Amino acid sequence: MSFLVNNKALLLAYSGMKEQTLSHTVNIMLTPQFYTLKKEKLPLKYLYQAKRIAPSLFDGLFENSEKYDYLVYKEEEEWIFIAYDPEAISDFLLSKSIKPEQVSKIFFAQQASSSFAAPVLLGEKDALVSLDNTVVVVPQLALKENNDIVTFNDSFTPKRGVTLQGIHGSILSKRQTIGLAGFFTLFALMFFAEGWRYTHDSQATQEEMQTLLEENPSLQSDYTRKSIAAKYQAIDKNERRKRDVVKTLAGMIFKGVKIGSFKLNEKAFKIEFVCSDAKVAKRLVQLAKKSEFNSAKVVTGNVVHIEEKL
Amino acid sequence: MNWKLYKNELIVVASLLLMLYALLYKNNQISSRTQEMLSTKHTVREFRELITLQKTWADKKVSKKVNKLEKIVPSSKVKWSKKGKKLTASYKDLDPKELNRLIINILSMAVQIQELKINRNDSSYDVEFKCKW
Repeated sequence: MSFLVNNKALLLAYSGMKEQTLSHTVNIMLTPQFYTLKKEKLPLKYLYQAKRIAPSLFDGLFENSEKYDYLVYKEEEEWIFIAYDPEAISDFLLSKSIKPEQVSKIFFAQQASSSFAAPVLLGEKDALVSLDNTVVVVPQLALKENNDIVTFNDSFTPKRGVTLQGIHGSILSKRQTIGLAGFFTLFALMFFAEGWRYTHDSQATQEEMQTLLEENPSLQSDYTRKSIAAKYQAIDKNERRKRDVVKTLAGMIFKGVKIGSFKLNEKAFKIEFVCSDAKVAKRLVQLAKKSEFNSAKVVTGNVVHIEEKL
Repeated sequence: MNWKLYKNELIVVASLLLMLYALLYKNNQISSRTQEMLSTKHTVREFRELITLQKTWADKKVSKKVNKLEKIVPSSKVKWSKKGKKLTASYKDLDPKELNRLIINILSMAVQIQELKINRNDSSYDVEFKCKW
């Protein structure tokens, strides 16, 4: 069983046909009574080009040309253009008790022109025949007496057909469907891509951590990490503080200021600046307090002492 | 009901559902992964910090680098005692330039300063320096 093959019964629809009572969906083949045919030899390569120019080929033939749809295909050297009015077809089918939802595909007799090698009778008066590869309706009286008659059956079903769903039932046109579906799909792709990016970023960070752990296996243990952190963070903090103090004190030496003595150990520091006069000493104390050395004080005239814990 | 009649609507609804599913997927990824990622990034940052600290304060080359402090001033002015991972150095009669150079070098080394003493004698300086690594 193939889902691609349309194996529904094919019903030949013609203007004098009897009313139908259908219990299942069918394919419909329309006689030339429901379409207008043009065959043209055009220097076109692609089907979309032919479809684009189809309306212009029937210019002036129809009163309401915008109501018409077109089926275009290539047959050997010629392009076949079939113009049809979906609304008129639908109304006709309804008049024969064939509801649009009972119609699967619509075909045109011209598409099966090779199958009309012998006439197919349409009721009591008319017949369908293929003349010069064009399917036409002729009176049965015009047929020769010894003509073979072919019975119409499902083997006449062409490969391509059209649907009438745009007329009844469907609210959206094909163009609107393509537009909306394209829009939603595009956003869906963008959301998927963004979601994937977050997953990927997270994986990259995990991989980075794995690499670090492989290079430094000692960090795998939480206890070791805490121990390393406790040891080296304390050292880092103390040593940075010592160096900051020395740099700040060095920055406080200006003209008229000399170091008398300096002592720094693990816990505290003590410095004695010798200034050229009391004015310089006072200025130095102000500078020290600005650098948050609040213990700075002038002792014995022009000597400044700073003693603080680290 | 003939679903074929509503093929267009079905296509649009299907694509809309796909978009909504993608949106939920994205939001789910953002909420779950962001938390996880922040936590992992924090851990990575901590690891890097620990590695840097370890490299700085447990550098095996420090022992060699410290020797520079012996040659930074004329040998007659230095009294040098290096035992294992400890150093005691005394510098006598350093001029201000030598003192400056010595202090800059001490501060740039990844050693733990145990004691640093500077005393001025008229125009020269004496320095006592103890450190470990």
